[in-house]
Amino acid sequence: MGPGRIRAGGGDHVTNNLRFVMPPPGAPARVTFPPVARETLSNGARVWSIRHDTIPVVTIALVVPVGSACDPPSAPGLAGVMADLLDEGTDRLDAIGLAEAFATLGSELSIDVGPDTTTFTLTTLPRFMDGALALLGDVMTRPRLHEADLERVREIRLNRLRQVRSSASAVADRAFLSAAFGTHPYGHGTLGTSAALSRVSIDEVRAFHAGGMRPLGATLIISGDVGPQEAFLAAERQLGGWQALDGTSRLAPVPVATASGPARVIVVDRPGAPQTEVNVGHLGSARHIDEYHALVTLNALLGGQFSSRINLNLREARGLTYGARTAFDFRLRSGTFSCETNVQGDATPLVVSEILKEFEAVGGSRPAGTDELERAKSSITRGFVRQFETSEQLAHAAARIATFDLPADTFDRFVPDVEAVTPDAVSSAARRHVRAGDAIVVVVGDASMWRDQLASLGRPVEDAVIEF
Amino acid sequence: MIPFTKHTLGNGLQVVVHEDHHLPLVAVNIWYHVGSANEAPGRSGLAHLFEHLMFKGAEHQPRGFFEPLQEAGGSLNGSTSADRTNYWSVVPAGATELALWMEADRMGWLVPALSVERFETEREVVLNERRQSYENRPYGLAHFALSEAIYPSDHPYHWPTIGYPSDLRAATVDDARAFFQQYYHPANASLAIAGDVRTDAVMALVERLFGDIPAGPELRPPMTPAALPAPRRLLLEDRVELPRLYLVFPSPALFAEGDAVLDVTADLVANGRTSRLYRTLLHDRRRAAGLGAGQGSRELGSLFQVVATAAPGVMLEELRLAVMDELERLATHGPSAAELERARVQAEASFLYRLETLGGFGGKADQLNAYNVYTGEPGYFAQDLDRYLRVTTADVQRAVRTFLSTSQAALLSVVPQGQRQWALDGSEPAVVTT
Repeated sequence: MGPGRIRAGGGDHVTNNLRFVMPPPGAPARVTFPPVARETLSNGARVWSIRHDTIPVVTIALVVPVGSACDPPSAPGLAGVMADLLDEGTDRLDAIGLAEAFATLGSELSIDVGPDTTTFTLTTLPRFMDGALALLGDVMTRPRLHEADLERVREIRLNRLRQVRSSASAVADRAFLSAAFGTHPYGHGTLGTSAALSRVSIDEVRAFHAGGMRPLGATLIISGDVGPQEAFLAAERQLGGWQALDGTSRLAPVPVATASGPARVIVVDRPGAPQTEVNVGHLGSARHIDEYHALVTLNALLGGQFSSRINLNLREARGLTYGARTAFDFRLRSGTFSCETNVQGDATPLVVSEILKEFEAVGGSRPAGTDELERAKSSITRGFVRQFETSEQLAHAAARIATFDLPADTFDRFVPDVEAVTPDAVSSAARRHVRAGDAIVVVVGDASMWRDQLASLGRPVEDAVIEF
Repeated sequence: MIPFTKHTLGNGLQVVVHEDHHLPLVAVNIWYHVGSANEAPGRSGLAHLFEHLMFKGAEHQPRGFFEPLQEAGGSLNGSTSADRTNYWSVVPAGATELALWMEADRMGWLVPALSVERFETEREVVLNERRQSYENRPYGLAHFALSEAIYPSDHPYHWPTIGYPSDLRAATVDDARAFFQQYYHPANASLAIAGDVRTDAVMALVERLFGDIPAGPELRPPMTPAALPAPRRLLLEDRVELPRLYLVFPSPALFAEGDAVLDVTADLVANGRTSRLYRTLLHDRRRAAGLGAGQGSRELGSLFQVVATAAPGVMLEELRLAVMDELERLATHGPSAAELERARVQAEASFLYRLETLGGFGGKADQLNAYNVYTGEPGYFAQDLDRYLRVTTADVQRAVRTFLSTSQAALLSVVPQGQRQWALDGSEPAVVTT
């Protein structure tokens, strides 16, 4: 448009011009979780079917209630090793052959080992569903668990452990979990340690497999463009033969964690690192808690999203980080609350003290105001509809019901239960579940920049070398 | 595969609408055809820094950009590449007008809200992003080193999209304002709306909200890429545990002849457990600790890369030989019928999986815009898929012979600090401008 082009500025306002008035967000979109048809296979495994036919795809998720918290104390990482070995081959196919077979179905098997569960997930086309279930059935019933495969898995995992120790966020996560949970089985992650991995034998893997990978307690979820009858029949056909091995017993359940490690500053020095990874928090609640919806609301307000207090403070007002987030990590028997961020090195003491101030303020000096609370609730309740879009989202939502043994109407109660959260409930939840005084502070970075200043936080400072 | 209508407003704004009434959800997605390739030397990083500024709130958004949309239940983000900048939100259907209004306000009225203070705070955020995502991440600087080595200094792909810290520090709020005036206007944008909308109604809304934003100056595409310099061997010492080799070959631009063939080739060579090198180098011989390959398609020209991380005690020269041997075999014999059949099924399935989400990175609205911006045809989906379905053995052989020969490769060895002995012989220290 040449030099005469003008962008409307402040002076161009026309009184009462609705053009410049932000429209309201409109009526909330109410959705209900699609019906889950439930059946039980002859071997005791549960099968849940969810019809979702926007696109001709099918997601299959198998949830087995065995995770890294079931690792024996002498073998952290065993659940992960066992899971890796499951797709290293069956009696018919080796590791590559199995991957090729899944690929020929337009699919790929992913195995995710969490603290409480191991979840096998794949997405495929409806015409390949039976074939995909057959391969999954092979993996569950006829894994090879060969010594030679263990050697390969061991080497790959040792290499991965070696590599993750140069990742600041992996170091901080490991330091935080271990400090918060101590010797409790939640205190280590899926990768375990090199020392344990070097020792593990194929007999241990086989025993763990026999005790853990059992149909009773497992849930097979099939969501997508397939009807329940067809899903159940295919599941029975392909996984009905999966049985617990004779003479083996189930792994022991994970105990409840009760005591957090003491409040302290844990320093992992990385001389020359340009940034500091910061993780501040403490032991938290298990998923089963009456105040669940108050905690979810509290998190949204304090640090769960971009427009939460902590990110607005550290990123938007001060420019000290690319982002800061808080989370309640709800597990079956326990959990954590923490704030994670990555900041410029010289800002480390300021950031840590600001995070602790925010922890204190939300349950004390600056409780959630009515407007602020309504905004947080609105973002969660109105946004709920976004979680129902894909077959994989639905399968993994159902997997949470299975993992935590939640009531069938959990997702339909979510919106009204969040709407019912009061300012008092949030303040009370904050006082008990976000505790600056109990917080463990993990800092991974160049300590020469900030070690002395962190000592003034009034909690002991210890140097840590994190075992990988 | 994605039914749509395309409209062009009087000011040049292109609008693509796709109705999908499965859920009360709407995706709003806008692409500005500007990226780091449009930057002037000395002002690297401005396109991406500008993307950040777009989220600070325009003139009539006193609460910023994020808060009203998050409060409405929306999810939102943006990203910058060398070729384009995209912004998206996914909102409950009732908030469609809000989401469009927010986009229109920042397309028309960002500059009055752009203060020096906002600019300077956001620059610090970006410098943090650079340190967190690249400088403090293992192997994080490898691609910067490769771009600087492969493209001459005046080539638009020479500098990283995140920018050089010195350029970012030198940039001013006036640079940002000028950048906005030049590139952020209706005729340089493509707006896609996907989901629970009625086309007529939403187009009336778009006309009302965007129609009065003035068209901008005519734009020329970034300069034609200059010839590439001779192949070279480079070395980078980094805070890493295991040496890693990058083999990088200049390759055809996005949608050019050979682009899809090389994408398929990447999967055959080193992507995932079904790839050839996974079987030989990782599964059977355990000489590699990790493998990957990709055809990084871009508008002005692409780079094909194979990345191999050495198992402890393995020299990178051994990995180089193994990769080049495999490429040689592929050039001579081509892929097997089974390999090609697998590639076809995977293409069909992955194109279908891409239809599952309305919005976000890679959702339907984003795809419509990508096709519209790069080909002028939002419905290019079927032609795109067809490029993959018709790949033949001879195509792969020809592409490997033409593009993936030693004489065209840039080879980067990334090794742990002080351990140059693992690198390829004859490697010279790489330049990473800071």
